[in-house]
Amino acid sequence: MNLVNWVGLWTIIRRDTARILRVPIQVFIAPWISALLFIFIFGFVVGPRIASIGGHRYLEFVLPGILMMNVINAAFLQSSSQVYFARFLRYIEEALVSPLSYIEMIIGSLAVVVFRSVVTALGILVIGAAFGVVTMHAMGEFLFWVVGVSAIFGLIGIIVGLWAKNFEQLTMLNVFFITPLSFVGGVFNTVSMLPPWLRWLAYGNPFFYFINGLRHSMIGFSEGSETFGAVFTVALCAILGAWVWRLYAIGWGLRE
Amino acid sequence: MTPALSITNLRKVYRGGTVAVNDLSMTIEPGDFFGFLGPNGAGKSTTIHCVTGIATPTSGTIEIFGVDAVKSYREARRLIGLSPQEFNVDPFATPRQIVEWMGGYFGLHAAERKKQTDALMERFDLVEHQKKAFRELSGGLKRRVILARALVHNPRLLILDEPTAGVDVELRRDLWRYLQELNRDGTTILLTSHYLEEVERLCRTIAIVSRGKIVRHGPKEEFLSAGLETAYLSATGAVPDHIAGAA
Repeated sequence: MNLVNWVGLWTIIRRDTARILRVPIQVFIAPWISALLFIFIFGFVVGPRIASIGGHRYLEFVLPGILMMNVINAAFLQSSSQVYFARFLRYIEEALVSPLSYIEMIIGSLAVVVFRSVVTALGILVIGAAFGVVTMHAMGEFLFWVVGVSAIFGLIGIIVGLWAKNFEQLTMLNVFFITPLSFVGGVFNTVSMLPPWLRWLAYGNPFFYFINGLRHSMIGFSEGSETFGAVFTVALCAILGAWVWRLYAIGWGLRE
Repeated sequence: MTPALSITNLRKVYRGGTVAVNDLSMTIEPGDFFGFLGPNGAGKSTTIHCVTGIATPTSGTIEIFGVDAVKSYREARRLIGLSPQEFNVDPFATPRQIVEWMGGYFGLHAAERKKQTDALMERFDLVEHQKKAFRELSGGLKRRVILARALVHNPRLLILDEPTAGVDVELRRDLWRYLQELNRDGTTILLTSHYLEEVERLCRTIAIVSRGKIVRHGPKEEFLSAGLETAYLSATGAVPDHIAGAA
C-alpha cells in the first residue's frame, strides 16, 4: 500500500474548495468589503489627519494590520466551520470509513485554509493598490506570515470545530479572543502611541508579532523582533499540529 | 479460510457509561450473505460503527479478511463499503460529487473514478438526478446514492445498515436483485434490517443480537423451522404469543 494516499489528499482539497466556492460572497466578498471599509475610513478619511509613521503614510501603516486581521479570520472560520458542519451533518464519517490517514485529513484541511487566506490577502492587496498603496518590502517574508499565521488559526479552528457542541460555542473564540486581541495587537496604532503602562499589552500579545511581522514584510517598518515572531510562529504551528494529530488519533470529537 | 469478518470479545462503552456492545464475538465467512438482526438499541449499529471506524472499540479485536481494523485501519478500510442507516452526506453536494469524492478518498484515479461513477449512476437510475443537490432528492433516491457511494471502490465486504428503510416496494425488490447479483459475484454482505422477510429472502446465515450480545447464530434454515419471527422474538426475550395476545 502507498505510504501517502495522494488521490485521497487531493480529493479533500478539491472537496473543501468546492464547498467554499459555493458561498463566494460569504467567503471572499464579505472580508474584501470589510477591508475596503476599514481602508476607506481609517486610511483615507482619518489617515490624512495623522502624521506619518516611520516615514510611511497612515494608510500604508494600517493596511498590513487589516490584511492580517482578515487572514486570521479567514483561516479560523474556514477550518472551524468545515470541521463543525462535517460533524454536525455527520459527513465526516465519509472520511472516517475511508483509508485516509489523520495526517492526510489535517493537511488537506490546512491546504484549503491557506488557499482561502491567500486569496483573501491578494484581494485586499488589490484593494490597497486601488487606494494607491503598493508596497512589498520582502515577498518571501510576506508569504511566510500569511501561510504561517493561516496554519496556526487553521489548526485552532480545527480544535474548536471538534470541540463545539453548538453554533454558540463555534463563535465564542472569535468573539472573546481573536477579534479583541487583533484590535489591540497594533492593527491601527503603533506601540509608542500607547501609554507606557499599557505597552506590555502589545508585547505580551501574540497577535502583535503576527501583525508586526507582516507589516515589516510589506513596508519594512517594525516595532518588535521579527525573528522572535517567526520562531514563535513555527513553534506554535508544530505544537498545535501535534495536538490536532493526537486529537484525530484518539478520535476526540470525531468518533463515537 | 480467512474469515471476511472476525469479531472477538468486542466491547463498546460510551462516555456516559452505556454499554452498547458487551463481549460480542462473531465470524462471517467469505462470500456469505449475513443477516444481523436485533431490536432497536441492541448494538447492531454500534458494532458496525466499530468495524468501519466510526466508533472506537473499548476492547476486543476486529479483523477484516485477516487485517486488524484498528492497528492496520487504512488497509482494513479499503476492504469495506458501508451504507449506513442515516444519511451522513453533505446535503448541498450532488449525487455525482458524493460518489466521485468517495472514490477519491479510496484512492481511485480520475479515469477509474469516472468509469465507476458513470456505471453506478446508470445502475441506480441516478443519471437524471446526478446534478441535483442531495437534499432535493426523494427518500428512495437518497438511499440509492448512499448505496452507490458504498460500492464505488468495489469493496470485498459490503455492510448495509437498514438499506431498504423508507424505500418503495419496487425499489426494494430491485435492490434485492442487485444485492443477490453482487453476492453471487463474490462480495460478502452483512445486512441489518427490521424486515424479516428481507432477511429470510436474502441471507444464508443469521445472527441475533440483544443487549449487546449475540444470543443466536447459525444457518438460516435453523431459524426457519419455527418461523423466523418466532425465533427472533424468542431469542430477543419477547414472547410471541403474549405479544400477539396483547395486540
